[in-house]
Amino acid sequence: MANQSRQNLLYRIRIQKDLEEITGPALSRHSNLEAIISKIANLNDQQQVFIYQWAQLIADSNAELAAHFISFVPKAFDCMIDADVQKWIDLFLKRYDNYGLGKAIISLEDIDGFADEQKNRGVRCSLQQTNLFLQHFIRGLGGRELKIASHDETYTNTEGLFLPESISIFPQPKQNFTLYKLTAAHLWAQTWYGTWRIQVLEKLTTEYNDQKSLDIFNRLECIRLNHCIARDFPGLNREFSEFEHRDADVVILWQLWRDRAGPLSDPTSTGMDTIKNINHFLDVDLPTLQPYQGEIFLDRIRETMLSRIKQEQIAFQQSLDKLRDENAPKNQTEDDDFVPKQMLEVSEGDSSDGEPSETNFQLTLDGQPIELSDDLKNLAGSIMQDFGEIPDQHMEPLEQGEYSDALQAQHGESEGDPDPDLNETGTFQYPEWDCTRQRFREDFCTLRELVVPPGNESFISETLEKYRGALRTIKKCFEAVLGESRPQRRQPEGDDIDLDAIVNAHIDLAQGKDISDHLYTNYRNQERNVAVMFMVDMSGSTLGWVNNAERESLVLLCEALELLGDRYAIYGFSGRTNKRCEVYSIKNFKENYSLEVRQRISGIRPKAYTRMGVAIRHLGQILQKTHARTKLLITLSDGRPEDYGGYKGQYGIEDTRHALLEMKQSGVHAFCITIDSEAQEYLPHMYGTANYAVIDEVKKLPLKVADIYRRLTT
Amino acid sequence: MSKTTIKNEQNFVKKKPYYEPVGDEIAIFTAAYKNQLPILLKGPTGCGKTRFIEYMAWYLKLPMVTVACHDDLTASDLIGRYLIKGGETIWVDGPLTSAVRHGYICYLDEIVEARKDTSVVIHPLCDGRRLLPIEKLGELLEAPSSFCLAISYNPGYQSVLKDLKQSTRQRFVALEFDYPEAATEEAIVIRESGIDQSIAHKLVKLGHMTRNLKGNGLEEGASTRLLVNAGKLIHSNVTPVNAIDTAISQALTDEPDMFQAVHELSRSIF
Repeated sequence: MANQSRQNLLYRIRIQKDLEEITGPALSRHSNLEAIISKIANLNDQQQVFIYQWAQLIADSNAELAAHFISFVPKAFDCMIDADVQKWIDLFLKRYDNYGLGKAIISLEDIDGFADEQKNRGVRCSLQQTNLFLQHFIRGLGGRELKIASHDETYTNTEGLFLPESISIFPQPKQNFTLYKLTAAHLWAQTWYGTWRIQVLEKLTTEYNDQKSLDIFNRLECIRLNHCIARDFPGLNREFSEFEHRDADVVILWQLWRDRAGPLSDPTSTGMDTIKNINHFLDVDLPTLQPYQGEIFLDRIRETMLSRIKQEQIAFQQSLDKLRDENAPKNQTEDDDFVPKQMLEVSEGDSSDGEPSETNFQLTLDGQPIELSDDLKNLAGSIMQDFGEIPDQHMEPLEQGEYSDALQAQHGESEGDPDPDLNETGTFQYPEWDCTRQRFREDFCTLRELVVPPGNESFISETLEKYRGALRTIKKCFEAVLGESRPQRRQPEGDDIDLDAIVNAHIDLAQGKDISDHLYTNYRNQERNVAVMFMVDMSGSTLGWVNNAERESLVLLCEALELLGDRYAIYGFSGRTNKRCEVYSIKNFKENYSLEVRQRISGIRPKAYTRMGVAIRHLGQILQKTHARTKLLITLSDGRPEDYGGYKGQYGIEDTRHALLEMKQSGVHAFCITIDSEAQEYLPHMYGTANYAVIDEVKKLPLKVADIYRRLTT
Repeated sequence: MSKTTIKNEQNFVKKKPYYEPVGDEIAIFTAAYKNQLPILLKGPTGCGKTRFIEYMAWYLKLPMVTVACHDDLTASDLIGRYLIKGGETIWVDGPLTSAVRHGYICYLDEIVEARKDTSVVIHPLCDGRRLLPIEKLGELLEAPSSFCLAISYNPGYQSVLKDLKQSTRQRFVALEFDYPEAATEEAIVIRESGIDQSIAHKLVKLGHMTRNLKGNGLEEGASTRLLVNAGKLIHSNVTPVNAIDTAISQALTDEPDMFQAVHELSRSIF
C-alpha cells in the first residue's frame, strides 16, 4: 500500500515537472497546483496525452495561457465530452488570436457557460430560424401588421412582437419552436382581444401605474386571453395547456387565480373588466408567469399607441374627405355654404360569433353603403383594434391646413433660373396635364437628356459577389423561361407534321391549286419579342441605401436580361421645376451591356425632385420607337411624384396618371415597383390595380425586381 | 361532305347545380342574355365563376359548351378544322362554331390563357353584328337569339402578356366575383362537402387567415373551391389537419416556411 502511494506521488511529480517544463514559471504561480496535478493524474492516458499536446501548442503562443489551460482542463473534462473540450480550446485560442490574452482567459474560465451552450446547441431554436414562419403565422391570424424582432425582454408594443433571440428551455428543438409560436400568439392575442384598447391603457396609466398592479393585470389578462383563445383557437389552447408550468405549487396558485377570476371567462369581458379585478388580488401571491407569457411595459406601449392613433386619425379623415369628394354630387355651386352636408356614418356589421373583426363594420354615405379599398379597411381595422369602434372624431372632416394633398396653384420655374437653351441638342419640350384646368399646358416642360457620369466599377463586382447565390437562382428562373418551347406551325421544316396544313394542302390539291410547302410544326423556342424601358427614380429622397438598392437591382437585372436577350434600356429621371426636367441615359436600346454601362450604373446618384409625367412621356416615346411586340415601361420609385412649385399631391398624381394613360393608348404597358409603404393610396389610381408591386423592405429590392420582371413577361 | 354535330342533349345541364347567389348577378346575367350582350366574369380562381355559368345554363335551360383555354389554344381550335376521314376531308365544327350554330351558351374559361388570335375571332360575335366568320368554309354564321357568349378572366395575374385588351373587354357586360361572405361561404362548404357546421366554420376561418397572407408570401389565399375540397376529405374521415395540409396548404405553396405557417394556423383552430 505504501508502495502504491509512493508510486502515485512519483507519478504526480513527473506530470508536474513535465508540465512546468512546457509552461515555464507561469504554472508554478498557480495556487492550487497540487490539486490540479492530482486531478490530471486521475484522467486516462488518452486525455493526458491530449493535455500534453495542447499545453505544448498553447505554450508556443503564450505560456500564461497554457498555464491557465492546465489549471482548468480537468474541470473541462469533468463537465464536457472530449469533443466539446476540443471546441472549448478552439474558442479561447480564437479569442487569443483576435483579442489578446485577457479576453482569451475570460472565455477559457467560463467553462460552465460553454458547456451549457454546447448542451443546448442541439435543442436551441433561434428567432432567425423561425422569424419567417412567425411572420406568416401572425399575419395569418389577422389584425394589424406586427413586426417580429429580437429583444432581451419579451413584450409587445402593439406594433411589434419582441421575442428572445433563442429559446432552449426544453430538451426537444420542436418544443422550443412551439414555445416561440405560443409566445408570439399570446402577444398577438393582446393586440387582437383588446388588452391595449385606449381606455384600458389610460386607466392603467392613471390609476394602476405601479409594478404590483401591472403584475396582477398581466396575470389576469393571461387568464382572460386564454379563455378567448380557447373559444376561437381550440388547437392553440391545447398547446397552451401543454406548455404551462408543471410545478405543483404554481399549478395550484394559477388554479386559485382562475377560480377567483371566474367572470373573466365571459365572452363579453374586456380589458376593463380585468382592471376591475385587480383590487381583489392584492392579497394573493403572484403565480410565476407562464413560459409563453411576456412582460408589460406600459410606457413603451403608450408611446407607440399615442403616435399611431394620431397618425391614423389624420390618415382616416383624409381618406374620408377624399371619399366625400369623390361621391359629392357633381352639379354643386361653388359656394360651400350651400353644399348639403353628406352624412358619413359607420355601423357595426353583423357578427355571427361575437369575434372582434376588423371587417365587422359598414361605412355609409347618406345611407348608401360604400365599398372600401383594402387600404382603408386595414386602417379602419387598426383603429378598431385601438378603440373597439370608430370614434366620432375620426368621422369628422379634417380641419383645413392638414390636408397636404390639396391642390395648389401651379407656378412655373423659380425665379433666377436661367432659361435653358432650347437649341441645345438633347432638349425637348413636353406638355403637362393640369387636372385643375382639365387641360394640357402645352410645351410646359423642358427636358434635357444627359448621360450619367461613370462611377466606380468595383461596385459592380462587389454586388455580384454579394448576391452570388441569389443571382444563380435568378438566372435559373430566367433560363426556365427560355426553356419553354412552343410549337410554331406551318413551317417549311420541323419536328412534326402540321395536320392542319396537310389537310389544307389536300383541299388545295383536290381543287387543283398549288400546294404550300409549309407543312410542319416546329418546337423550337419562340423568340421573345419584348422591349423594356427601366425608369429609375433619381430624386434626392433616394439618397443612401435606396440608391444603393436601386443600383444593385439594376446590376442583377442586367445580368438576367442579358440571358433572356430582351431589348432593354435604362434611364434615370429627376428634375427641379418644369424648366429643368432631366433624364439620364444609363443604357439606351442600341448599347450593349458594356463596361461603360456598368460604370454608369455604379455612377447613379440622387439628384433633385420627382417630376414623373414628363419623364414618362419622353421615355415612353423612345420606347415606342423600338420595334417589339410587347413594350414595357417599368418604374423603380421610392415615393409619389413631387417637384418644386406645386407639382405634388393630386396634381402630380393626375399628371403622371395621364402620362401613363397616353402610354397605354399607344400600346406600352406600364408597371411600377416601389418601396413606398403608402403606395397603395395612389399607385392603383396611377397604374391600375394589378400593375404595381410594393416592396416592404429596401433590402429585398434587388432580389425582387428580377423576379417581378420574370413574372411580368411570361 | 358530311357534317358532324354535337348532340344537344349531351350539353344540357340536367341537374340543378348548387349555386349560392351573392348579389343580383342572376338578374343581371338574365337581363344581359335577353339583350344579347356577351358576359365577362372577373374574379380570383375558385370563387365560383364556372359554377355560376353552369347554374345560369340550367336556369335558362340552354345547353352549354365550355372551353378551358390554354396557351396553345388557337382560333381554329375554337372555330373548327378539316379532318381526313377515309380519304376524304371533312369539316368539323369547333366548340364555338357549334355553340353559335345551335344557339348554345359558349363559355371560354380563362380566356387570357389562349393565344391572341382567339380574341380577334370573338370580336364580331360580341358586338351588334353577332357574326362568326368561318374563313375556311367561306361562311358567315349569324348567331341565333338564344346564343350567349361568356368568358372568364382573373385580373390578379400580373403578366402583361396575359392582359385582356381594351378592344375585347369593352364588348362585354362585366360581372365581378369575389370570395363570398363568411356566412355564405360556410353554407357553400357545408352543402358541397357534407361536413357539419362547426367544421365548416373553422374551414372558412382558415380561408380568411390564408387570404390575410395574400401578397405577403402567397399569390392567392385559399379559394372556396379549396375549402370545399378539404371539407370533402374531412367528410371522408381524413383528420382535419391532414385534410387541410393536403387540400389547402400544399396546393397554395411550395415554400417550407409558408407551408408550416398554414399548417400551424390550421392546427390552431382544430
